[in-house]
Amino acid sequence: MRTTLPVIIAFLSGFAMIFLFFLSPEYSSINGVELEPEILSWVTIVGGFTLLLGVVSIVRVNYTAVKRRKEGWGYKVATLVSIFAMAVPAIIPSSMSSLFGTGPGSIYDWLFNNLDAPMMSTMFAMLAFYIASAAFRAFRARTAEATLLLITAVIVMLWRIPMGEIVLSGIHENIPNLINTYIMNGANMAVQRGIIIGAALGAAAMALRIMLGIERTYMGK
Amino acid sequence: MSAGMIIAYILIIIAGGILLYMAFRTGDRRYIYFAVAFYVVFPVLVHLPLPTSISPEARQLYDAVDGLPDSSTVMLTFDYYPSTLAETEPMSRAALHHLFKKDCRVLTMTTIPLGGPSIAERVTREVAEKYGKVYGKDFVNLGYKANYVAVLKGMGSSIETIYPTDNSGTPLSEIPMMKDIKNYEGIDFIIAVADNAIIDYWISIVNSQYGVPVGTGVTAVMAPRYFAYIGAGQMTGMLGGMKGAAEYELLVNEAGTATKGMTAQSLVHLFIIVSVAVGNVIHFMERRGRRRRIGV
Amino acid sequence: MRLTITAIVTALVILTAVFAFAQDAPAETSDGNIFRVDRINALVFMLIFSIVILTYTRWARQGKELFLRKISGLDQLEEAVGRATEMGRPVLFIPGINEIDEIETLAGLSILGRVARVTARYDTPLLVPVRYPMVLAAGQEVVEQAYIEEGRPDAYNKDIVRYVAGEQFAFTATVNGMMVRQRPATNIYMGAFYAESLLLAETGNAAGSIQIAGTAQPAQLPFFIAACDYTLMGEELYAASAYLSREPLLLGGLKGQDWMKVLIIAAIALGIALSTFNSGEWFLALFRNV
Repeated sequence: MRTTLPVIIAFLSGFAMIFLFFLSPEYSSINGVELEPEILSWVTIVGGFTLLLGVVSIVRVNYTAVKRRKEGWGYKVATLVSIFAMAVPAIIPSSMSSLFGTGPGSIYDWLFNNLDAPMMSTMFAMLAFYIASAAFRAFRARTAEATLLLITAVIVMLWRIPMGEIVLSGIHENIPNLINTYIMNGANMAVQRGIIIGAALGAAAMALRIMLGIERTYMGK
Repeated sequence: MSAGMIIAYILIIIAGGILLYMAFRTGDRRYIYFAVAFYVVFPVLVHLPLPTSISPEARQLYDAVDGLPDSSTVMLTFDYYPSTLAETEPMSRAALHHLFKKDCRVLTMTTIPLGGPSIAERVTREVAEKYGKVYGKDFVNLGYKANYVAVLKGMGSSIETIYPTDNSGTPLSEIPMMKDIKNYEGIDFIIAVADNAIIDYWISIVNSQYGVPVGTGVTAVMAPRYFAYIGAGQMTGMLGGMKGAAEYELLVNEAGTATKGMTAQSLVHLFIIVSVAVGNVIHFMERRGRRRRIGV
Repeated sequence: MRLTITAIVTALVILTAVFAFAQDAPAETSDGNIFRVDRINALVFMLIFSIVILTYTRWARQGKELFLRKISGLDQLEEAVGRATEMGRPVLFIPGINEIDEIETLAGLSILGRVARVTARYDTPLLVPVRYPMVLAAGQEVVEQAYIEEGRPDAYNKDIVRYVAGEQFAFTATVNGMMVRQRPATNIYMGAFYAESLLLAETGNAAGSIQIAGTAQPAQLPFFIAACDYTLMGEELYAASAYLSREPLLLGGLKGQDWMKVLIIAAIALGIALSTFNSGEWFLALFRNV
């Protein structure tokens, strides 16, 4: 029963969504309630409840590390303080004070705009540094394929910047257009389509296996 | 080119050369990081303008929006996190300039809970102010609603069911602009600016199932994936990364942060190309040296 | 099989009931069709797909030999875990950064089950940071089951799978911190990854870890290829659980998938030929609105 019930639920949920996909919109509602968005909002509600699991997990792991004074426990203290500093004022209803809740002018909003957002941007900006070091280290013309990849990458990198356009147009004015036509809209598009079709088929096959209970490895079976 | 600019470029080349030499000599990747930081910061301090050309995809989006009758209704989405603001916000700004210049009515929304609604509010109001546009009459911010698939599908039947109120809690029924915008039939064009795979849903749900033309603005790393949709006619134009944003800024004649960022992007790209080239030359020289030693 | 039939029958009964209620819908808005006729092509495609997959699954169960090409990244999994064991350092596994409703995440969890068995067998520490609570619950279940099946329930600890942050870059920063401080010998990335792919893989590379990645996100593949030792591309990720388990039921699905690909290639070739001679309109119409 421990695996039978989840498999049945998985099958019914999947089958219901497929069935609704083929049903005319006029017939896919009961008493004015559209079934498809309704089912999808159940997913959101269930997801909301599981957030508690996440909070319990993060607090337990970090609290244990602090209690045992594990290496780097200072960072764990910062994590715990940040969790409660963001969560507590956001949970208190804004009717008590405009500092609470998540609206404009609240503590949550201030922390988000002045701490969270710049930190997110900083992490994303680090990509530029990592791309540079990965390219510097890994882009070697070891084989014919790697050479082709290298040349294409250099051409596309040049094509995407004004300075590169000046260089490429200097060789021949049509080169930027040729890159767009043959590399981006030609080779790139064909490869992307191939990968997308293959991955979509793989995902559909996996979904079918999950729905029919053939694939249960994600449940630990 | 002025004497100052020539000196600036000479400085750029010397600094890059030294850092690259140190990186190869020591094998320490932090020299590369330092070079990237230098090339990003330097053009901020010293103004070095560069000419930008227009890609066919950006031109297609511009032409599609420009071809809309005046006073059309356009939905502009802010489906991005604060982390990608540098690439995406200039796209939204340029699009708003274009739309307000054409007197289009603008409906904004987001599928991103963290920051999405406040970015949409801030950017739209700032641009609207310049054109004297009035909230509720010329533009409306629907804000955020959870579960994007349900939101995108649901707006096909009724926007009011999904968004009973706008971002600030005013019922849609009390907003004049929303009187004749009930679902996608009231929307002439959608510009989806995003930093995530939500674009696939705007295409597969909104364009394919409801027939609304969708143009997009995406981050540079996402752009190659979406050429396939343009080729298939499911996407009407695309802005790819900061370059795409700069192209749109140029088209609407509103130079902004993307146009300024082009110099930094050019320098970093060129530095990467040079370091890859130098790395390969050294790699070949080492390989040849090894072969000689073992007598191949 | 009995389970499948029971599930199908139950579904049909429930959906018939739902359908009966739905008949109360206002008739004046209906164009007379209960089902969407414009999606009939999708239905046909889905039926062909299901039949092909199920037929191959059936053949596989009857013992028919099915050839599977070599996937280096998966062959190296056990060896990579073995390396961590020898070095006495942990294995880091990330099942992507998407929700549990993404098939890529489920594929990642399937592979996690296999990896957890090996870590349980060799008593190697395993770290599984996740971004969503639902993935946390599923991941804990998968790892616990693997430890039980390997006869090591005592070695299982609930904190092997841990929730670290819901925000993409906060998650990345935490995992990068784990890589730098705990220095895992092996990093395995299997699932949906976005902008953080290179941030993770490059940090792992700098920390000297062996790295195996797998994703169906085409935009992230170049980054993983540049910074990881082995990379599974696209559908290889979905094939992983079948490949690793060699279970005939799962292998059959893979074979069916290949045949569907052959069908699609044939359709593309036919479409190109017909369009070239300006007579492909009827053929194109078959694929509209899917």
